[in-house]
Amino acid sequence: MHTLSRMTGWLVLTFAFALPVGAQQTPAQKDLAKDQQQRTVNQPGNNSEVWRDVRSGQPNNTTVPGRETGVLVQAQARFPGQENMTTAGEAWRKFRNGPVTFYGGWLVILMCAIIGAIYYTRGPIKLHDKPTGRVIDRFSLAERWAHWVMGISFCVLSVSGLIILFGKHVLLPVLGYTLFAWLTALGKNLHNFVAPLFIVSLLVFIVMYLKDNLPEKGDATWLANGWKFFYGVHLSSGRFNAGEKVWFWVGVVVLCLIVSVSGLILLFPNFDQLRSTMQQASVVHAIAAILVIGFAIGHIYMGTIGVEGAYGNMRDGVTDETWAKEHHDMWYDDVKSGGAGVTTAAKSGAAPQTLH
Amino acid sequence: MIRCSLLAASVLCIGGCMEVEQVSNAQKQAGQTVRRDTNPWSNEPLANGPKWSKGDRTSWEEQIKKRQLAQHEHRRIYE
Amino acid sequence: MARMKFLCDAERCIECNGCVTACKNENEVPWGVNRRRVVTINDGVIGAEKSISVACMHCSDAPCMAVCPVDCFYKTADGVVLHDKDLCIGCGYCFYACPFGAPQFPQAGAFGLRGKMDKCTFCAGGPEEDKSEAEFKKYGRNRLAEGKLPACAEMCSTKALLGGDGDVIADIYRERVARRGSKGAEAWGWGSAYGQPPKGAAPAAPAGGKS
Ligand code: HEM
Ligand code: SF4
Ligand code: SF4
Repeated sequence: MHTLSRMTGWLVLTFAFALPVGAQQTPAQKDLAKDQQQRTVNQPGNNSEVWRDVRSGQPNNTTVPGRETGVLVQAQARFPGQENMTTAGEAWRKFRNGPVTFYGGWLVILMCAIIGAIYYTRGPIKLHDKPTGRVIDRFSLAERWAHWVMGISFCVLSVSGLIILFGKHVLLPVLGYTLFAWLTALGKNLHNFVAPLFIVSLLVFIVMYLKDNLPEKGDATWLANGWKFFYGVHLSSGRFNAGEKVWFWVGVVVLCLIVSVSGLILLFPNFDQLRSTMQQASVVHAIAAILVIGFAIGHIYMGTIGVEGAYGNMRDGVTDETWAKEHHDMWYDDVKSGGAGVTTAAKSGAAPQTLH
Repeated sequence: MIRCSLLAASVLCIGGCMEVEQVSNAQKQAGQTVRRDTNPWSNEPLANGPKWSKGDRTSWEEQIKKRQLAQHEHRRIYE
Repeated sequence: MARMKFLCDAERCIECNGCVTACKNENEVPWGVNRRRVVTINDGVIGAEKSISVACMHCSDAPCMAVCPVDCFYKTADGVVLHDKDLCIGCGYCFYACPFGAPQFPQAGAFGLRGKMDKCTFCAGGPEEDKSEAEFKKYGRNRLAEGKLPACAEMCSTKALLGGDGDVIADIYRERVARRGSKGAEAWGWGSAYGQPPKGAAPAAPAGGKS
């Protein structure tokens, strides 16, 4: 639990940090107008108050309708790590094209490298005992639907999002302008239209899986010794182990909700959000997305080739008794005894079945 | 599979590190569809419009700069 | 070599919106899009009111160009920043990045879905064949290919809006500022748009220019 809250704390800090420092408080425009009147008398031709007003990024009068048309030039701002104030647009450009792209790209690569290294050195985690042939229910149909709708839409969003952020550097030289622009337009539309589906499935998923992801006794031990997992040591755990719980809380709940909210701000420009709002939403969206993609790479590895049997569990909803006993002993005991903490799905499946 | 994704990932990283340099199309043309555009001086002047010799950048610029002097307040109209 | 720039003289702009109208007419800009706009500071406050006409400044190190996910912008040999509407995906990033709010979007669908970006072309059209029907439909008139300058600057009644080669603009403006007693020397927007002049080149901004 401690580790969890500390991690959440760091995340919140990261995002607080990702927001740019706004321009210094500028004096009210009325005062500037008065000062300018005075200056025009004393120093005709000196318009410094007018220019200060313009630099503040506050809207002035214009007959042209539209978003922020009264703003001549964007206010000054500075994103983290930037020494000088520049116009917010320039600052956003430097931050997005700089650290977000650079470290974001490295993070994705690093994650792939770690996973690759684990796969090649440790290999997949196999069962120790023979499968019994008797299976018990692990995921209900509704739970599987929630998982797969979310998972597949997540992958569509990840790939299309990555194309928008990195495609120019990676795919454009290969595909050429015409094909790449077509692909990116497709990606953008997929991103825009799959997003609502993702958000709905995300909310349903969180509600459905919340109960079994609540912290319980033994999680701390698991977190401290979880790495031994790759050396074949299984620690005691309930329906979900502490590693899965971290993925649930940090990856799914915190990061995906941040991605969703920031994404919605970008998705509906018809609410006349300010450019500064969209710049901030965009970098928060990109950073959170990259982090959760990193997480997801790990999760997808464990769910497919990393752990023998895991993928089948989510596909068929049932698991072999041996798998249950070895990976989630406390849950297995609960199911067997029909005791507390057993999901309805698991209860109904207590009777032995045969795998098709 | 993993090897492929690793490879893809490293390509991704190499690209992710840079911002494309902004150059004019005169310097960067071959094979880059988007940067292909005709230079204004490569056009035939209009029959009754400003004159330059087709394809000659200097003569086009000279007439543009001369024309621009019409924006000088001491010369109300273009001569 | 010519380097195309815009400059608006705040001492002269009378907020007549002639440039806005000229642009709309010359380029037959779609509904809801205005490539140029006039902003008035301290509107109605005697002795403090100033107006500026602004559109795309055709920046030296253009932020719009840098953030475009499909890299659809290009810079012409005379420094004009143009884009290819066939490639644009309407993501709006150039609008976030542009200091001057130049990129505009016709609404293309429900929920404010953006259409293809449209912005001032310095009356230089786009990548289509010069002076062709297709170019006019997408980008408007290609006046540079006709040996002319942007319509807005050429018709400005007070000659507040200057457009053309940057060095010539600087000369005209410098002389003008000198004649009015070194007053109103600010070359607004030149700092953000054109930055520092390259070494050995003529100064990018006339005397007193900053911001
Ligand atoms: C939850 C719902 C989501 C919404 C509403 C949403 C919305 C958006 C929008 C509107 C954009 C701007 C790009 C454009 O319009 O073409 C965007 C960009 C992006 N999205 Fe999402 N998105 C969502 C989920 C995700 C997910 C799950 C991921 C990946 C894990 C993701 C990754 C990205 C990335 C990497 C970008 C590019 C950022 C950049 O170029 O700076 N998004 N998203
Ligand atoms: S003014 Fe805006 S749209 Fe024009 S070149 Fe500069 S950043 Fe791009
Ligand atoms: S709206 Fe079009 S031109 Fe602007 S950044 Fe997006 S793709 Fe590029």
